[in-house]
This record gives sequence, structure tokens and C-alpha cells, in this order.
Amino acid sequence: MLVSWKWLSRYVALPADREQLETRLSLSGLNHEGTETPAENPALSSDDVCIDLEVTSNRGDCLGHLGVAREIAVLYDTELRVPSPTLETSKTDVRSLLSVENEFTEACPRYTARVIQGVKVGPSPDWMQAALASVGIGVVNNVVDATNYVLMECGQPLHAFDYANIADKKIVVRPARAKESITAIDHRQYELDPSMCVIADAQAASAVAGVMGGADSEVTESTTDVVIESAIFTPLSVRRTARKLKLHSPSSFRFERRVDPIGVEWASRRVCQLIVESAGGTVAEGIIDTAPEIETRPPIVLRLSQLERILGITIDSSEVERILTALGCQSDAKISTGSGAFSAPSWRHDLTREADLIEEVARIHGYDKIPEDSPIPVAPSSKRTFDSATEKIRGVLTAAGLSEAMTPSVVTSKLDKALSPWTERPALSTQTAMLKGAKRLRRTLLPSLIEARANNWASASIEADLFEIAHLYLPGKSDEDLPEELYAVALVCGGDFFSAKGVIESLCERLGARQALSVQPVDSPGFIAGQLVRLSLGESSLGYLGVVAPKTLKQWKLPGPVIVAELSIPALLADAELVPQQQIVSMFPSVERDLNFVMSESVRWNELENVVRSAVGQQLKSVTYRETYRDPEKDGKDRKRVLLSVQLQSDETTLSGDDADALVQSVIGACKKKLDAELLG
Amino acid sequence: MSLQNFLSALDSLQSEAIATLDAASDAEAFEAARVKYVGQKKGALKDIQKQMGSVAADDRKSAGMRLNEVKQAIEKAVAEAQSRISGGGESGADPTFDPTLPGVRPAIGHVHPITQTITHLTEIMGRMGFEAAEGPEVEDPHHNFVALNIPEDHPARDPLDNFYLATAATGAEKQNVEGTRLLRSQTSTVQIRVMANRKPPIRVISLGRVYRPDDPDATHFPMFHQMEGLLVDTHVTMANLKTVLRVFATNYLGGDVEIRFRPSFFPFTEPSVEVDFLWDGNWIEFGGAGMVDPNVFRAVGYDPEEVSGFAFGLGVERLCMRRHGIKDIRDLYSGDMRFLSQF
Repeated sequence: MLVSWKWLSRYVALPADREQLETRLSLSGLNHEGTETPAENPALSSDDVCIDLEVTSNRGDCLGHLGVAREIAVLYDTELRVPSPTLETSKTDVRSLLSVENEFTEACPRYTARVIQGVKVGPSPDWMQAALASVGIGVVNNVVDATNYVLMECGQPLHAFDYANIADKKIVVRPARAKESITAIDHRQYELDPSMCVIADAQAASAVAGVMGGADSEVTESTTDVVIESAIFTPLSVRRTARKLKLHSPSSFRFERRVDPIGVEWASRRVCQLIVESAGGTVAEGIIDTAPEIETRPPIVLRLSQLERILGITIDSSEVERILTALGCQSDAKISTGSGAFSAPSWRHDLTREADLIEEVARIHGYDKIPEDSPIPVAPSSKRTFDSATEKIRGVLTAAGLSEAMTPSVVTSKLDKALSPWTERPALSTQTAMLKGAKRLRRTLLPSLIEARANNWASASIEADLFEIAHLYLPGKSDEDLPEELYAVALVCGGDFFSAKGVIESLCERLGARQALSVQPVDSPGFIAGQLVRLSLGESSLGYLGVVAPKTLKQWKLPGPVIVAELSIPALLADAELVPQQQIVSMFPSVERDLNFVMSESVRWNELENVVRSAVGQQLKSVTYRETYRDPEKDGKDRKRVLLSVQLQSDETTLSGDDADALVQSVIGACKKKLDAELLG
Repeated sequence: MSLQNFLSALDSLQSEAIATLDAASDAEAFEAARVKYVGQKKGALKDIQKQMGSVAADDRKSAGMRLNEVKQAIEKAVAEAQSRISGGGESGADPTFDPTLPGVRPAIGHVHPITQTITHLTEIMGRMGFEAAEGPEVEDPHHNFVALNIPEDHPARDPLDNFYLATAATGAEKQNVEGTRLLRSQTSTVQIRVMANRKPPIRVISLGRVYRPDDPDATHFPMFHQMEGLLVDTHVTMANLKTVLRVFATNYLGGDVEIRFRPSFFPFTEPSVEVDFLWDGNWIEFGGAGMVDPNVFRAVGYDPEEVSGFAFGLGVERLCMRRHGIKDIRDLYSGDMRFLSQF
């Protein structure tokens, strides 16, 4: 809201120190955004400045100079001078000249009209032109300028129609007809729909209610009789119409923030007075008003104890009374026995409850009076298991050389289609795109990370090893369900399948996974056949790990190999023992033996390991994979040699060489029997 | 042999030996000199030691003392010559070893600066007894608006200011409709969920991603993080709010930080304020705060006559960017290693 210093001074005695005033306005609710001097803004007269104040959406009353002046009067405890317009009217009754029909009270709860006959349209007086120019409003003629002046004076939008162009001398407030269009005063054509409210005559729409007037009925040089509209249009209707038409005006801005119901009639009177002063003519007797009854607002009880309870300070009852009264509240009696009743002024829609009055008193009294030495009592707080877990996850992954990325939650359909290991249901979608056409709520983090790796490669030839911890949005069963939001950790890296698997194994170990990590190959396009696996901890599914197919990498212009993995954090946590428990270490020496088996290619390591483990039992401390060697000439086709080490140890005694040999023999025997694996000499 | 002769023989041996050893410039010359003077079998020192027997018994003590001195001096010269010739200067170190060469660094990854900021904020608030809470990012209008006292005609609900989800009913491509689900526009939604499930006293912070349709530029991104604090108890005042925020600012920024409140408007708090911190002589806007609106308490089944509370919300990106001197918010979400590796 731009206010002119000179204009404000018509209603209130302004302090000498302008900067102090600006600060006080900022600290009482009208944030000071800037001030222009005549040197910076040539439209200002030499003795004026223009101040830009930010008005929050609940304070429509401050969208006029009078409202701002009232705030200043309250802050400086001085008098506010509100003009009291009086009209000399003709003998002609306005109702004999015009009729108004309101067919759309949901959008227009109140419509008033006055008629002025015999005006002479010409330039408006210099003082009015200077005032409008000071706040950046263009000058038109003495009728239109007067409506704009009153708009900027009290915040009530007004419209003047050329009476001669109103068909059948009848104004109809109604929904627009389907396909109806209007040429507005900006001389552009707008197509309307029945959700919009128009002001029409007997034939066609002559204004979009509360948004903009129509060109056909605008006041011109040849106009002699004018109709003055002063009305209330509902915020929702005006906002939706303005949004749909992409047509925002000072009027729509004010209707969206609600106007003063009593001020409607005042503004009508005020503009008629100003028009007659500069353009002559006479005002017809009376006003057409579709809803003259104004609801009286019930008084609000304010308890001083509540002021103290919410603000933490006590404020004198006389100061409370002064502030509320100066703001326009009415009260029948002084505050007694700790409480008083106040009726909020009609221009303050935002004051309906005790809490609202408390805020008024607080902001005028000053938030600087609220102390900063009022500590809250001590209370314990503990770190969430989730936060401890993600800290460990970040620790392991950064130690493994991966860096944490954060990528947008909403992705393009190209990215969404790339991969969806968790769900078959189609991704949820936003109505408006977030970035570059991205509308899909991601069902996996992997494509985002592959894209980030590709961008790093494209821009700086960096092979970025990245991870991200974020929500996946897995659509629910029905269309209206909220999605399941699964916290996942995903990674992308180079190296090979086993280096990435090792990272995940370390992660599970560091989080204290109680169950063994196992893999199950799954098929999915985008991965090398057989090299995408579902990961499980015991029986429960943990996530996916795979080597991206060269064809997919080519689409991303990425050099291979690229390994990706994605784990469900709840699944990781379900099995986690985040507080490690000590295991007693055996005091007796251990015996290590290397065993070299030759076996069929189809025997998997996990089978071999299981057989070795079950053959020994408790005294087997570890089985370590060493290497695989293939020599078809010596061992035959589809055979391989696997070298492993076993570590044997007893918790009760020193294993003798014979004991160890016996255990190794049982391993050899079991491998032979169950896997047809032969020990090599 | 007289003592006199013995001592003078010792002196000349010492000076000759030291001079020869000092002059030895290669391993061969050194080895020759070493054998000549301290050789086990025929070394000059051994020879002269044998002559000790011919010194008068009374003089042997002085002769022995001097012999030891000479022996030590020559052995020292041998050791010095050896170390000089075997390389490495005085300390015997390998001259090819350059300790000023750079170290071999382990490839350690980096934690995202937003995570670091969130950890820092959580830690500061944790010390004041606030526990972290989380809620879903896809919300219904009840949690995102209704319970937060944002009525149906409020501009905050406008489809152009929110990411409403498309449904089959509205059609995937249809825009400008207030839907039944949306990406949350604030983390205040979590407060509603916490209050609905628990009884006061409540002391939580909620942290997470929020979404608003802003065109991306250096200071705007359609996805960002908020930290919201909520304290509800029987006697909570605005003075408590101001105190907590000042302690927070002092902790986060270091030093004693001045803060101020400016009136503002949020549907879910009354009174509502903007919070400014005085930083490097300028008032910096840090977020919104206020006393929980009685309508919010009623929406979660609390009696506003029985409890009071405060809430505040800070933008995590703003705090992070200021702390690390980050100039463009878009860098945070680029996944670019040239950016990430700096933290």
C-alpha cells in the first residue's frame, strides 16, 4: 500500500521524525518496505514523499489513507480527522431514475447506487491529480479520478457508469451467462462463465463485479449523468474471478480483503460530494441499497487476566481502554472487576474474539515490552531412534565415499517411468508442475540419483557416488487414499556389484541387523540380467540392489558400471539393534584352515557357506570367502574351485590339532555329501 | 714407556684418526680408516691399549682415563663418518623421503549442508527439551488448512499457491481445482497430528520438506524445509516464546543476539509476529511465530481456557545459506559434487 505523506496529513497530525514513524508502523503491523522522495519519483510534488507499507491480508482497513492515519493516531495518541460528507440533493428520487435487481447475493451481499445528473466531465482539480499521481494512479477525468481518490482514501472500490448507456435504466447483479464476454476498460475482451458475477443492464454485462468495469458504460467527455456504484462483493468470488481472468485490479485486491460495510454508504456519499465539487451536477434524492440493514456485532469480553496469561505482562486497564477505543472499538462501560466488553468497529472484520483484542492491545502497546528472560521449565527430550539410525546410515555411507544429495520429490514422467521396484500402481501426480514439467510424486529415489550422476558426468566429468534419504510416495489402494510415505535410503555408485553390496552389508552390520542379509535375483528392464536382486533381512524385504544395464546408461550418456541400491529404512530399523551388546571373546587360541573345493558352477556361495556352518556348529567362528578359480582343462566344464578359510575355536578349551582335524573332516564330508564338492589336495 | 710418551702417543693417534675419518669421502676410504684405527684385530687403538702394560703401575690410572677419552672420541668420529657416508645427513634419514608431499586421503563422502543444519537445529532445540516429530508430506485439507484455522475462502488455499494432487475425478491434467490431497505447504500440519494424538504438555519440533509453487531463482525453490516448534502447557506466554527464540538465536549465531517481534498475520496463531534477529548490524527476518490460536486448540480437542501455547516456524534453507555463505538455493538440490564436496 502506497501512502502519500501529504495525503495522510489531511487526517492526522504527523510527527516531525518520519523515520521514527516508519519504524513504529513496522513494529505495530504495517511493515515499512521503502520510501520514495521527489528526487527518486518525479510524480511526487516537491513537499511530498511516498511510503510503501506492507498490509497483511487480515487488514483490509489499512488499504486506504484513512486506515493508515488511524493507526498513526493510535500510536501517537492524537486525533483522527475523518471527513463527514454531506450532499445537497435534487427533488428527483433516485428510484425514479434507476432500478437494481440483485440475482446473485452469494457473490454480492450488498449493492448501492446513487445517480448524479448534469455533470460536466473535465479534468479533476490539481490537488486531486497530485494526490493520485503521488501514489501512482493515472489521471482520467473528474468523475473517474474522484472514484479512485475515494478508493485510496478509505479503501472502498467504487465504479461510475454512464447513465445514458444503461439499457432500460436497470442494473442487474447476476451470474455471467455461459460464453458471455465483455470488453473491459483496459479494452481487452474477456470470456466469462457462470461462476463469475457481473453487473449488467437489461441487455448485457457492463462490469465484472469487483474486478473491472466495461468499456461500453465507461464515463467519457460526453457523459452528463452518472451512476455511482458502491457495493460489497465476496472475497472468494472476486478472487476466483480475478484469478481465472488473470485480471487483478486495486478493486479486486480490496474486495478480496473485505471492505467496511458501513463505509460502503460513506464512500458513496463522499465520492458524490467530490464529483459535484469539481464537475457540478446534482445528486438525486436517496440511495438504492439492496441490503441496508447492517448486522450489529456482539460485544467481545476482554479479561485482563487473559492478557497477562497470553502475553506474560500486565497492562494497565486505562492503557487497554485507550488503545481499543482509539482503534474504533465501542464500550459501554469502563473495565471493571478485571474485564470489559468491546464492540469492534465495522471496518475490522478480523476482530471477533478475545484473542483478537489481546493482539490489538499487544501490538500497539509494543512487543518490545515483552521480556526475554522468561525461561521455560526444564524438560527431558530424547533423540528419536530414527534420527540415531539415519546418523549411523550417513556415517557408514560417507565413510564408504558416498556424498549425500537432496533431489526434488516430484519428477518428470520420463524419470518416473524409468523404474519402479516398489509398486505397480501409477504414481500420484500434482496438478501444477513443480519444475520443468515435473508432476509425478516419485515412487523410487533411484532415477533422481542416476540423473544427478549423469549431470555430474556431463558438467564436470565427475563420477559422483551419491546417496539420498527421503520419502517415497507409494499410492494407496483407492484414488482418495493418502499415499504410503516410505522413508528410503538410496545410493548410486561406480565400482562393481560386490563393492556396493559390501557397503550395504557394512550398513546392516553397523545398524545391528540381527538377521542375515540375503539376495534373490529379480527381473527388471534397465538392469543387467541376473544382476538385480531383492535384498532381504531374514524373511522381510529390505530393498533392491542392481547393476544398471549399458543400454540404460547410454540413454543417460553415463559411462559404466553404475550400481544402484534402495533400502527401506523402516525395514532396516525393524531388525536393528542400535545399541550394540558385547559378545564374550573366547580366551583360547583359534585354528585357521584353508580349504580348496572343486564343485559344480551351479553351487552358490551361500549354499556352500550354509553347509560349512552346519557341519561344524558352535566352534566355527567364521567362514571367509577367498577366491574362485576356473580351469576347465583340469576340472572339466562348468566346474569351479572355491577357496575358503574356516576359523575354529572353542569357548571352553584349547582345540588340539586332532580336534581341528576332526572338525575339518566333517566339513569336507558334508561338502562332498550335500554339494558334491571335492577337496583339492 | 713413560707416562709422558704414552700420553703424547695417544694425542697424536686421536688427532690423526679424527682427521682421517673426517676426510674419508666414500665408503672405501671410510672402511680403510675404520679398520686402521678401531679394527678388532690390528686397529691402532688395540695396539696402543696393549702398550698400557709398559706404563709404570702408579701412572696406569691416569693413562687408563686418558685412553678411554681417546677411545670415545675416535668411536664418535667413526659413527659420524659412517652416518655421513651412508647418506641421510645428520639424522640418518632417507633423502628421497619428502614429508611435504600431500597425504593420500581416504575417499570420505559429505553430509548435505541442509542435513547438517537440521542436525544443528535439532540439537539446539533438544537442549531446550523439544523432541523431533514428523508427519506425512502428502496431506489432506483438514490437516493443512481446516485444523489450522484457514477457512475455505482463504487465499492460502488457492490452487495456484499449492500443489494439489490430480485425481481421476479432476483428470490428471486439469488445473486450478482445490483437491482432496496436496503436498503440504507448511510443517504446521505435524503439530495438528501431534496434538490430536497426545495430551499437553507438548514440546516438539517438526522438520521436513514443504512445497509451494514458486518459480525457482536464487532465493526461491518450490521445495524447501521448515522447522516448526510447538510448546503447549498450562502456563505458556509470549514472554516464554521470546525467551526461547532469543536463546535459540544466541545458540545458533553465537554471541548475545538481539531479537524483535513485528506484528504479522497467520491464521493459526494469535497474536502473530515476524521474528527478526540483529545480525551484523542489520535486522534479518527469520520466520514467523505466535501464540497458538484458540481455534486450533479447539480443532484438536483442547480447551483454550486450560492450556496455552506458542508456535514458531523458521526456514531451514535461509539459516543454512546464511551460515555457509551459500548464494543460490538451487545449488542445494542440484546433486552437483562440486557443490556437495564443499561441506
